[in-house]
Amino acid sequence: MSQIMNSSEQPLAGNVLADDALISVSGLRKYFPVTRGWMQRKVGEVRAVDDITFDIKRGETFGLVGESGSGKSTVARLILRAYSLTGGSVHFRKADGNVVDLSRLGDREMRPIRREMQMIFQDPYSSLNPRMTLLELVGEPMVIHGVGSQGEIRDRVAELLSLVGLRPEYVLRYPHAFSGGQRQRIGIARALALNPSFIAADEAVSALDVSVAAQNINLMQDLQEKFGLTYLFITHDLGMVEHISDRIGVMYVGRLVEVGDTAEIFNKPLHPYTEALLSAVPQPDPRRRSSGKRVVLKGEIADPANPPSGCYFHPRCRYATDLCRTDTPQLRPVAGRSVRCHYAEELDLTGVGA
Amino acid sequence: MKTTTIQPMPPERLLELDNVHVHFTMREGLVKAVNGVSYHVNRGEVLGIVGESGSGKSVTARSIMKLLARNAIEAEGRIRFRPKPESEIDISALSRQSREMRALRGGSIGMIFQEPMTALSPVHSIGTQIMRTVMLHRGVGKQAARQRAIELLERVQLPKPAEMVDRYPHQLSGGMRQRAMIALALSCDPSLLIADEPTTALDVTTEAQILELLKSLQEEMGMAIIFITHNFGVVADIADRVAVMYLGRVVETGSVDDIFYRPGHPYTRALLQSIPKLGQAPMRRLRTIPGMVPDPFNIPEGCVFNPRCAHAVLGTCNVEAPSVVSFPGEQSVRCHFAGQLPEEVQ
Repeated sequence: MSQIMNSSEQPLAGNVLADDALISVSGLRKYFPVTRGWMQRKVGEVRAVDDITFDIKRGETFGLVGESGSGKSTVARLILRAYSLTGGSVHFRKADGNVVDLSRLGDREMRPIRREMQMIFQDPYSSLNPRMTLLELVGEPMVIHGVGSQGEIRDRVAELLSLVGLRPEYVLRYPHAFSGGQRQRIGIARALALNPSFIAADEAVSALDVSVAAQNINLMQDLQEKFGLTYLFITHDLGMVEHISDRIGVMYVGRLVEVGDTAEIFNKPLHPYTEALLSAVPQPDPRRRSSGKRVVLKGEIADPANPPSGCYFHPRCRYATDLCRTDTPQLRPVAGRSVRCHYAEELDLTGVGA
Repeated sequence: MKTTTIQPMPPERLLELDNVHVHFTMREGLVKAVNGVSYHVNRGEVLGIVGESGSGKSVTARSIMKLLARNAIEAEGRIRFRPKPESEIDISALSRQSREMRALRGGSIGMIFQEPMTALSPVHSIGTQIMRTVMLHRGVGKQAARQRAIELLERVQLPKPAEMVDRYPHQLSGGMRQRAMIALALSCDPSLLIADEPTTALDVTTEAQILELLKSLQEEMGMAIIFITHNFGVVADIADRVAVMYLGRVVETGSVDDIFYRPGHPYTRALLQSIPKLGQAPMRRLRTIPGMVPDPFNIPEGCVFNPRCAHAVLGTCNVEAPSVVSFPGEQSVRCHFAGQLPEEVQ
């Protein structure tokens, strides 16, 4: 059961997290200032993430999809507190069962919790220090958190490498000796070093070739099963997200437009943007070749520094009415999902059902 | 492999590559990036070229344009191009700086690239870049060229073409830049457009816009397209015929339906199975291809795919390089066991 809370009411910590949830994000906001001149005068703000609310259940994979600039990576960074929040809360269930609101913690209090939350990055070339060996790279989280002696770290690194399918003898090699797919596995091993319960994977397979991406996705699913991991899987690849996610959230210009069960959303989207996104994906099936059936969106993605009035999607939406131009729809529960559209109940949208 | 005697090209043929080899001299040794690639493009058709990184698909295309790096050695092979029915040009015999080659580039052959930001000049306006191409190849004046530029920008559906013509690439979004690039490539009505991963850097909804645009332009102007991509979805959407490349070789060619519904090469089959398809009952695991693409210094003996192939037979596949087996229709497969492999449900 996914609770949708109005962002204006801030319930007390304690009853805020549903029993099966690991993370609950509520009213999450991140505004970046736009400055001008040598005085760095603030002339505006970019609403990179605006009023995001969703839960991630324990042991599930929650997929976050959207196009570039939609704010999906920023959401992950806010959950991990790599950025400070402009507003909202992030409740996290620690390994000891206590629930904390990460948005209220200072850096020092955040530190022990970072052991339980890790991240895997998109670019396996720039996210690994080329001057560090695998031993140093994969062992670094343990050194930072003061876990284990040198010998223990060495054993653990060897164990982690074999977990991700790399030979433990490679501990003294440098990242340049490995292919893109292998480097991504090094990143996975590093993320696993401190036994986290939650991993945010930001476009973790987007830079890889098809056959290698499939290998790494299978690995991530095996690891999830083995260690009961919870994933936040961020990607623009809708085929991959459908394959790996239990539930998904669709983002458009810093806002969630639809959250729900993956199969249900893919079968029958309730938001016009989700419909357009699904219909835009080129299918590896020539018989489905779009002969005018495809919803081709007009225009460009809205500028988050200068978003349209009302519903952000209205200038590109083929169902838009006057109401959409003036009133901003709220994310509200519709048929077991959350949808941000005035007409979610009335529209009959097309999914990608086989 | 085709015989070495030169056969005349059939009348519908626009471009024919025959046994093309491209090597690069590197500090570490000789990299044989392209090893005997043969494919052809007929007038007005879209040939999709798919393959993973390092398969040589871009290098082959660049050798058609003679845009290879200076350390490239075009070791062998013949590239013939026939822009007009009566004039056949042997591109492989031309030098990269020759007058004929410069007339072809941007004239009869247009090219668009993955990253329009790096392919367009940042210090010239979109209009200037198109005007120069038109003035060079068409020998028209400035006014006429500017008119042509505006007309082209309108044709690629850029909003307000009369204003866009004076904009610089950094003022446009990724999708708009790619449209400007297409306008530039099509400015002299080429008979062949080479599109090297033109939608890879774009978001899906923008990708859909560009694919629809390319399809409608192709219908309107009738040029042939070589569409290079690693995305099977894009190929299924735009191509008439497909060539699948692996390690500098074409392993399979055929009509788009042959490749997707009756793939003959184990590599094509394995690749198709490793892509998650939308709206399909979820599988527990994706099918994978074991191992990884070998590095170019350690190319396997025999069939280059044999160490990763589920059907490889020791003693044959790792010893002898397979030749091309042709099937009725246009499908041909470079595999010892082509046509003998068990049928698989796709």
